[in-house]
Amino acid sequence: MAVTVRIPTPLRPLTGGMDEVSASGATVLEIIEDLDKRHPGVRDRLLDGGKVRRFVDIFVGPEDIRFLDGAATVVTDGAELTILPAIAGGRAGH
Amino acid sequence: MPPPTPPLPDHPILVVGAGGIGAPAALALGHAGVTRLCIVDDDQVELGNLHRQILFDEGDVGTDKLAALRRALVRRLPALEIELRPGRALPDTALELCAGAAVVIDATDNFASRFLLADAAHLAGVPIVHAAAVRWQATVLAVAAAGRPCYRCLFEDVPAGVLVDCATAGVAGPVCGVSGALAADRALDLCQGRAPGTILTYDGERDRLREVAVAARRDCPLCGEHPTIGSLDAARYMPPACEGSD
Ligand SMILES: [Zn+2]
Repeated sequence: MAVTVRIPTPLRPLTGGMDEVSASGATVLEIIEDLDKRHPGVRDRLLDGGKVRRFVDIFVGPEDIRFLDGAATVVTDGAELTILPAIAGGRAGH
Repeated sequence: MPPPTPPLPDHPILVVGAGGIGAPAALALGHAGVTRLCIVDDDQVELGNLHRQILFDEGDVGTDKLAALRRALVRRLPALEIELRPGRALPDTALELCAGAAVVIDATDNFASRFLLADAAHLAGVPIVHAAAVRWQATVLAVAAAGRPCYRCLFEDVPAGVLVDCATAGVAGPVCGVSGALAADRALDLCQGRAPGTILTYDGERDRLREVAVAARRDCPLCGEHPTIGSLDAARYMPPACEGSD
């Protein structure tokens, strides 16, 4: 399955600044593994072991995968994934 | 011409954090007709923060943000009643702070404070807006007085690791302003009893504002069917991997 993944700004340093990237896989987990091959480091930011980190939300279309099957959620061809990390705040000059 | 002002609360709006998000939120609320604010902060104005803390100027550097913000607000809104609460929201003070408020605005810059305020507002039965900004991204979540869906429905617990490296994160000034303005807008909605159950995300690199529906989790420890958070236990809010005051 080829899907489009929307990359939030905090992760864009890993995708060369791209806000949307393509990836393939049958599940959210496979898509993240594939993303990590193309953009090393993404996996660690999103997964803790095989599970999506607790302070990261991933949506398949409008659906939060927490209410589906988590990382095992099946995706269909052409789906759009949105990654929504918790953000705290930021200090400049650090 | 300003829009017609709906009835506004008698109780103060509590703004936690007087920095890049809290200050513009306070200004917007004051101009919208809110008459009472209570503002919490423990930090001083720094030169390196002026790009995003646009109510402050070089003359404020080294002074308390609370005092500087009061000066900036009173100059524009002399009738605004402002209570200043120096310090941070802590496990032993957060409930009392939230309990007297019409709405809480969480404009803090660390996860421990965010989860603490989420819990305190929920336990006090007070609506809360969580407003954040990092780099070019802002997020704003409004939670109704009824408390569902809440911050923990979405983000569960204080992160054990950090998604964004604080040492390199920083934040763009305009994005803080957007976050503060959206927070004020959502706070006014909450005062009217409107809670859309969505999280707003603003992407300052692409100038895109999106609204994503949030669902309440049945197993949420705060607002779920069998809640396990009934008090503000300090151990639950361990210091995050990097902490600072905005
Ligand atoms: Zn909840």
